[in-house]
Amino acid sequence: MLSFWHNFVDTIFVLIASKGLSLQLSSHFFGDLLDSIIVDVASECHRIARLGLDRNLEEEEEEMRLSAQARLRVADPSNSSEANGKYIVDIFGQNHPSVASEIFECMNCGRSVMAGKFAPHLEKCMGKGRKARLKVTRSSTAAQNRNSRGSPASAYSPYSNSTSSNRLSNGTSSVAGEEYSNGAFEDP
Amino acid sequence: MRGSINRPPTPDAEDDQIQEKQLTFQEIIDIKLIESGEKERLKELLRERLIECGWRDEMKALCRAFAQKKGRDNVTLDDLVQLLTPKGRASVPDSVKAELLQRIRSFLASAAI
Repeated sequence: MLSFWHNFVDTIFVLIASKGLSLQLSSHFFGDLLDSIIVDVASECHRIARLGLDRNLEEEEEEMRLSAQARLRVADPSNSSEANGKYIVDIFGQNHPSVASEIFECMNCGRSVMAGKFAPHLEKCMGKGRKARLKVTRSSTAAQNRNSRGSPASAYSPYSNSTSSNRLSNGTSSVAGEEYSNGAFEDP
Repeated sequence: MRGSINRPPTPDAEDDQIQEKQLTFQEIIDIKLIESGEKERLKELLRERLIECGWRDEMKALCRAFAQKKGRDNVTLDDLVQLLTPKGRASVPDSVKAELLQRIRSFLASAAI
């Protein structure tokens, strides 16, 4: 009976000891694995530091911070939107006037134009579009004469321009009507 | 008599093994872990969990801060290991540690005892 009891107690001890042993061992091996990973991370960071690769990281972080700021500014309802005010705030926080104000030279007629008014200017300048006035230059003349329904004989004479276009602008039957009285380039 | 005859006998391979230090229980388990490939798998698992929870990024930030303070060219690998070991060990999330410990204990149960 006693030996049975001894065996029983011994078994319990062994179980407790082995559980303790198991815990201790597993902690040890966990520490081993963790140390190994720590060395890996340290090694990588050491390399980055010595090669100066974190310089790029700093720039990237700065960019991300700026874009996050800008995003906040855009999402903020108190900012003036396109519908409300004259100025639009874009994601970089810059203001844009609704009409582009840069001034440059038109490559067709040589006049100074404002960027925001360039499209309508070109319409008049190149002779397309409603009620655009005629511009008497060599290039527009050649274009008109190319497209006009007049006689080929007058094609290269600068002075025939007014007669041929006058003919057209007086409402002669031209397929496209008024729009094309100024010698448009394209057919509809 | 030639001098070479008197030289001591070549030690036996068997004798070497007996004189060798006995492997500890721990070392035996370690060998089993490595040979079965489980150690590598455990390391990968731990690495993955530590990345997921942001631990690795924290460690990298610590290193970067240290390098900026000490000067990039003055940093040694030893510095960084010394820096990361206490903080690294302390900041592992409990769930990650528990998961790894459980897996290790399962291995011990199946392989060792």
